[in-house]
Amino acid sequence: MLLEIKNLGVSVDGKTILSGLNLNIGKGETHVLMGPNGAGKSTLVNTVMGHPQYKVDKGSITFDGKDITHIPVDERAKAGLFLSFQNPEEVPGITLESFMRYSRNAVTGKPVKLFAYKKELKDKMEGLSMDTSYASRYLNVGFSGGEKKKSEILQMLMLNPKLAILDETDSGLDVDAVKVVSKGVEKYKNSDNSLLIITHNTKILEYLHVDYAHVLMDGKIVKTGDSSLIDYINKSGFQQLAV
Amino acid sequence: MKPARKKTKVKDIDRTIYDFKDKVNPSFEVKEGLTPAIVEEISQKKGDPEWMRRFRLHSLEVYNKLPIPSWGPPLDGLNMDDIVTYIRPKAKMSAKWNDVPDDIKNTFERLGIPKAERESLAGVGAQYDSEVVYHNVREEVRRQGVVYTDMESALKSDKYGPLVKKYFMKVVPPQDHKFAALHGAVWSGGSFVYVPEGVKVEIPLQSYFRLNAPGAGQFEHTLIIVSEGADLHFIEGCSAPKYNVANLHAGCVELVVGKNAHLRYSTIENWSKNMFNLNTKRAVVDEGGTIEWVSGSFGSHVSYLYPMSILKGEHSRMEFTGITFAGKGQSLDTGAKVVHMAPNTYSNINTKSISKDGGYCAYRSSVKIMPDAYGCKSSVSCESLMLDDISGSDTVPVMDIQNDDVEVGHEAKIGRISDDAVFYLMSRGISEQDAKNMIVTGFAEPVAKELPVEYAVEMNNLIKLEMEGAIG
Amino acid sequence: MDLALKEINRLPVPTWNLLGINSADINGVPAVTAPYKGEYLSELPEGVSISDKTVYAPEIDTGMGADAQKFSENNKNCGATLRVKAGVKADKPVFLRYRIDGKNSSVVDVTCIVAEEGSEVTVVENYSSEGGAKGFHGGLTKIYAAKDAAVNLVQVQMLGDGCTHFDNVGGAAEENAVVNILQAQLGAGEAYAGCKVKLLGTGSRLNVDTIYFGDKKRKIDINYVAEHTGRKTRCDINVNGALMDESSKTFRGTINFLKGAKKAVGHESEYNLLFSRKVRSRTAPLILCSEEDVDGQHAAATGKIDPDRLFYLMSRGLSETDAKKLIIKAQFQPAVEKIPDPSIRDAVFDYVKERLDSVESIS
Repeated sequence: MLLEIKNLGVSVDGKTILSGLNLNIGKGETHVLMGPNGAGKSTLVNTVMGHPQYKVDKGSITFDGKDITHIPVDERAKAGLFLSFQNPEEVPGITLESFMRYSRNAVTGKPVKLFAYKKELKDKMEGLSMDTSYASRYLNVGFSGGEKKKSEILQMLMLNPKLAILDETDSGLDVDAVKVVSKGVEKYKNSDNSLLIITHNTKILEYLHVDYAHVLMDGKIVKTGDSSLIDYINKSGFQQLAV
Repeated sequence: MKPARKKTKVKDIDRTIYDFKDKVNPSFEVKEGLTPAIVEEISQKKGDPEWMRRFRLHSLEVYNKLPIPSWGPPLDGLNMDDIVTYIRPKAKMSAKWNDVPDDIKNTFERLGIPKAERESLAGVGAQYDSEVVYHNVREEVRRQGVVYTDMESALKSDKYGPLVKKYFMKVVPPQDHKFAALHGAVWSGGSFVYVPEGVKVEIPLQSYFRLNAPGAGQFEHTLIIVSEGADLHFIEGCSAPKYNVANLHAGCVELVVGKNAHLRYSTIENWSKNMFNLNTKRAVVDEGGTIEWVSGSFGSHVSYLYPMSILKGEHSRMEFTGITFAGKGQSLDTGAKVVHMAPNTYSNINTKSISKDGGYCAYRSSVKIMPDAYGCKSSVSCESLMLDDISGSDTVPVMDIQNDDVEVGHEAKIGRISDDAVFYLMSRGISEQDAKNMIVTGFAEPVAKELPVEYAVEMNNLIKLEMEGAIG
Repeated sequence: MDLALKEINRLPVPTWNLLGINSADINGVPAVTAPYKGEYLSELPEGVSISDKTVYAPEIDTGMGADAQKFSENNKNCGATLRVKAGVKADKPVFLRYRIDGKNSSVVDVTCIVAEEGSEVTVVENYSSEGGAKGFHGGLTKIYAAKDAAVNLVQVQMLGDGCTHFDNVGGAAEENAVVNILQAQLGAGEAYAGCKVKLLGTGSRLNVDTIYFGDKKRKIDINYVAEHTGRKTRCDINVNGALMDESSKTFRGTINFLKGAKKAVGHESEYNLLFSRKVRSRTAPLILCSEEDVDGQHAAATGKIDPDRLFYLMSRGLSETDAKKLIIKAQFQPAVEKIPDPSIRDAVFDYVKERLDSVESIS
């Protein structure tokens, strides 16, 4: 098992958001997480990534055989976790290119060969239909919503994590952009790499093979199934599953 | 969970490379304190022309009448009577590096001069305590008619003496404030630059100041005249080793920017942390001319520094880019002043400040638009970053607008490093320390990128070591 | 014999003396204040009691400073202390209407508003004068908002040019209390206003909305200070003004984050429209900060009307002057709409209109 979440309880500012949540993701699997607004989807992924605002009251998170419940976020990134943010931060003064280089260096622990790196970055940007001049712009500063999401996918491709969590990466994108992003995700996905996708939209899923779908409600996973669950939810809504 | 919330300390600048000292070995030293007799003595030893002798004595009178500023950081610990105003090193002015005495040369070698010159500077002037010990201008620059010499030579020269007399402390009169008056009385050393009409100096000129004797004052005078249509970039750098006695720096910089001329004046100040830096810098800009200030303040115990631009000619412009970084024991009160005297003039002030370890930064500015200066535009943006809760930061801007045909904008922000930004960067595998350093570097970047790359000596040690070092 | 009040409206951190913005002096303060004979207090809402005793509140400082405060306290000739009982939400505003006329040449009102825990009250202070009456108004208003209380203070000043006026406000807000202040400084030959509110309790808030209008040779001098002491405190200060003829204005606005004011937010903005070559507008927006975890922002913009906006309005058939008057009115509208009484709202618009009508041309 790559990611194993056991009996997880999480609160924010003293308010319980998740309780008794269990979720397992195996190597090479693609999972989809659905749920109504406010169910706790973003809480879950931020907790998995280790945002200090989210307090783990009980349970554990194991990743790649290692208990990561209490380790800092950068250690999780080094372990092979990646989160594509719903609202990526704008960080003035650091270019996308040099940031990715630092980041790759930090994650792999190996020096990055400049020439090869530049070429790889350029190729990957082109693959995502990104204007390559964005490489020398400050990290996400002044990027449109679509460009920010592409920048996240680009970073995912450059870091090649073991598990990538996409938090509504497709929201706010037009049809073409969804296609481009999906293609990028497709490139990342192989028999070793795993995906956890949070979406309101099934467009992005058309390009991917989904192994499992989960419904998160009232702070826990209430239903798990195969991709047919997605169609079911789309037709019938979440209320059918309310406990 | 146990979050990664332990406080990260941004490292203090490694100042040890500036802290080496030479044995004080002066050939001449005046008594402590300031009297007309001392001023006369300085004047006599320097062989001033008569007008300068009178100017010094007049300035001393003004000095004795003016109060110390009633605003700004406290000047406790600064006792004028304790400060030796004039220390002349043994060396005579030299044009050959080899002629500079070894101990002084060692100091400059350690600071990277004239290495910097060898690399890419058009000329270097080095001042050691009160006197200029070394001046050299590249041959091709000299052939263009550019004059770069020490103030005293210029003062006494038949050719440039009249120019000095015409401009000396006209841009900054001694009546301006107490320390300008002090400067007028005891000034010593400094640079004189004259760029003839239409001459574009392609590579920067640089001067370097250094205080070595404990309790000494440095009062260098810089006068730069950029004639019509000419273009110059001048770089000034300062440092001082650390002593326990308070040191005073009350220099004066006067810049005369001619019609359609362009001058960029870059400064990195990294005085040691016992220095009172009460420097006055001012530019007068003629029609269509441009003054650009790039200013980095990192050192000193107390700073009062507000380069001022007088936009005298129509369509003249000023741009100010500054960064101030105050750490433990530092109160750095910095900013800029501009007076729009003529119509259709333009000013833009962009500053950043960082406070940490109990340091205090103040951004202070004044934008004044005179009654007949129509069609002026001015924008001010200042941003302050607090790195901990024992430091302080004040923003004190003033705008005084005296007609309606203007566009004046002001923006100020103060805050801390955003937790979300730190989390985002860390989610890409970067440590908390590095993430914070990156954000601070990014904050300073708009200013850093304006600084000349060649001017690596200071900035590499300051910005890079301080913030980027851990990232590289 | 007239007196002078020196160095009022002081900047909390002084700057270059030459700029003349560190403080102001009020000349022409009457040495002796005649009694005020007019009726000024409206019918009180239920749960609000009144006394004529001034509340002793040493923890409250005022925006204009101790001298102006003492002057009002020593020369008081009208005003009231209003106390709102805990939990009472006053069902109507308290109106205090003062008028300078032939019989009453000075108004020195001292008003204290004490809102007990969980209470809410709106107090409207309205100053006007008769025709060309000469006179003086020097008022002091102290506000104390206990835990969860809300105090709305509306001050509307529409005095004639023969009057000298000052409004001195000081306040303190405890946990989760809200102080809303609306000032319309529209008239008086010389108008001074100061306001300092201490946000003491966690989560307390201050909102200030100010409009000012300068014409002829009138002078306006304002000093606001929001002092953040408590955690998660917030202030929003919005100032909108217009200056024409040879009028002048000085605006000082300070957000002061004291140590301990973690997660405090302070925002301030000033927008100032200028309509004559001879106006003078001075602004000093300060942020003072001794705390790391805060968010402070300032924005100020001064200049002429946006030419595109003007063009748009004129393309709909308005003359340039009318279009500009409309823009000034629009500039004031959001603040004026917050005045709880329609008759005062209308009076404000009429007053501004009248002043604008006497402006022959707007450059």
